[in-house]
Amino acid sequence: MTGHPQADELLMIIAIACYTIGALALIVYFFSRDKWLVNLGAPLAVVGCVAQFTQLVVRYELTNVWPLLNLYGSLSLFAAMSVAIFIVFAIRYKLWFAGGFVLALAAITLAYGVTWNEGTLPAVPSLQSYWAKVHVPIVVSSYAAFLVAFVFSCIYLVKYYAERRAAADSATVAWLESLPSLAQLDVIVYRAVAIGLPLISLGIITGAAWAKEAWGAYWQWDPKETAALCTWIVYLAYMHLHTRNAWRGVRTNWVSVIGFAVVIFTYLGVNIWISGLHSYKM
Amino acid sequence: MVQIRSLYDDFTQTFGNILFAVSLFVVWGILTFIGVIVDQGKSPDIYFSSYPAPIARAIVRLNFDNIYHSPWYIGIVGLILISLTVCTFKRVIPARLPPLRPVKIPHIPLNASMTVAGNVSDVRARVDAFFAKRGFQIRKREFDGIEWSFADRHNWARRGVLVAHLGFVIIAAGTTLYWARGFSGETAIVTGQTTQIPQTKATIRLDSFNYHITPILTKSGMVYQPTDYVSQVTVTGNDGIAKHMTVRVNHPIDIDGTLYYQASYGFAMRLAVTHNGVANAQLSQQVLAEGDSLTLPGTRETVTYERFVPTVDRATRMPSADPRVNDPAVVLNVTQAGNDAGTLLVPLHTAIDLGAGWRVAPASYLLYSGFQYRYDPGIPLVGIGALVLLAGLIISFYFLPARYYVRVDERPNGKCDIGVAASTVKGYDIFATQFDALLAEFTPAMETTT
Repeated sequence: MTGHPQADELLMIIAIACYTIGALALIVYFFSRDKWLVNLGAPLAVVGCVAQFTQLVVRYELTNVWPLLNLYGSLSLFAAMSVAIFIVFAIRYKLWFAGGFVLALAAITLAYGVTWNEGTLPAVPSLQSYWAKVHVPIVVSSYAAFLVAFVFSCIYLVKYYAERRAAADSATVAWLESLPSLAQLDVIVYRAVAIGLPLISLGIITGAAWAKEAWGAYWQWDPKETAALCTWIVYLAYMHLHTRNAWRGVRTNWVSVIGFAVVIFTYLGVNIWISGLHSYKM
Repeated sequence: MVQIRSLYDDFTQTFGNILFAVSLFVVWGILTFIGVIVDQGKSPDIYFSSYPAPIARAIVRLNFDNIYHSPWYIGIVGLILISLTVCTFKRVIPARLPPLRPVKIPHIPLNASMTVAGNVSDVRARVDAFFAKRGFQIRKREFDGIEWSFADRHNWARRGVLVAHLGFVIIAAGTTLYWARGFSGETAIVTGQTTQIPQTKATIRLDSFNYHITPILTKSGMVYQPTDYVSQVTVTGNDGIAKHMTVRVNHPIDIDGTLYYQASYGFAMRLAVTHNGVANAQLSQQVLAEGDSLTLPGTRETVTYERFVPTVDRATRMPSADPRVNDPAVVLNVTQAGNDAGTLLVPLHTAIDLGAGWRVAPASYLLYSGFQYRYDPGIPLVGIGALVLLAGLIISFYFLPARYYVRVDERPNGKCDIGVAASTVKGYDIFATQFDALLAEFTPAMETTT
């Protein structure tokens, strides 16, 4: 046990530092398109992400307590998975221009998560289940995918409204043209939601199975469960609307933005402000 | 008859409309959200003390205090199920295998045309070989003397939405089976006592209950973290054989198909009651759960055991946050002729004088364990439904059915014109990259000459 706070906190500091510097580099790249900034920001994103996953493993190894059972641990995984999913997207679809926003959100999430770090506590009885190792990572990963979708939806909406207003400004037009087309951005958002929706569905299913084992009922109408249901409904609506040509685009991207607001409420708002069966902060 | 037909058409058109389904989702989401932010199942007083009167009145009168069982909520879920059913039969099943028919190639956003050398049969053979090599299913049809090739990929995945909808139906069947044939309940058993479950006739004796609390000094102060709740029970099921079993949170026990869950615990209490120094054996034998009362004979005085306080802070003489039993006390409420006479924190073995020679002292406590039990024959169906739903989502999202339309027209100079277009079930943008990639291979493979 000795030394674990140092190792834990050191890795966390490395991750926050990498994300912060990487975010700055990639946000500048978003506007300037100087290639060297990607060469700086992309490796920092990878290093920060690796540091975070290592931190979670180290914490588990040293404390023997599954590290995702409190807000500190789950926020850490949320940030790590957001960056990991983004890196995969960025490599596959050449999307480093958006990395600054993802890394900035990851850094903010991590910094906020640190404020919930109360040290190592043993798990309460209801969390002493193998389901904790299945349900929590799945749900947190779905939130991470929705974060990536949210970032690209915001970029979509910025581009959409900027294109309508900045027709005469040649510099702005040139910058807007350097971004992927609206159709391409919309496809990226769809692909991120297509990762998040099955994951949150699986998360709700595994959560129901766990609830059945722990409390005797799949569904208790607990605030966290119902808030997760709200999230699922919003993204289900997104997917249904996305099948309609008339709705695909600006409207579905607004739904994605609203969806992420619901995700944040489900994830943090319910845990912090509303008491229920899922009030695991520490 | 015509009117009925017209009504039916209006009904299917409305409920088969995706935007109508999304509108239902929106209402469903809003109602669910209300249930998240408004505490459920509280008494009206609590809403009136927590919200401005108009909002509290709306919460109570519109059933927002029990929203998930309100007519609005059940109604909207019912409408969604109807919409899902109509959409399945009106949209999903008919769209499963779209007919093979010619298209106006330039009108499809993903299109290309080229002229290649060779006679028409050779070129068609090359087209077929190209798509077959890449796993496409080729079908040919002739329309107005022109032969069309239809190359389909992941055609089976068109069933994805149907599979997802089927998953919902199976889950609904599983939960219906529980409502029809299952049951649930809860019971609290005091240490050493036996109870019989009314629905199953199984008996459960609580041999012992233990809970473990670990005090940990965190950055925010002392936290008393519960780490285990464990009941040792002796159960007798249908076979009549008594068995010793252990029930923990997350580890329910199974007695003849009914599952029993560790749900709660508490402290039952015996109060030593004396009148003019003589013990009242009958009242002193009673085991009171939290909230239970006893009435003193010949008086209109009632003593209610409100709650157990495991540890009293010695400095302040107030209840401490420590849930371990160190210096216990009980909270007793006394009423006289129905009027509240006061609430007292009374340490264990300390008597209080109630007047007229009556004295009451908390004598001893007994742990009780609360169990939930549930018989649910729908579990396998719900599990299968969940897997089917998930499979449907994965098929829908990760296997994109695409169709290429290829038309080869012979030109007089030994060349042929090839027109190619592609469509998917999710529009064109999502397939643009793949179309371009395929076209990059297709063009040289066809030996473009112009």
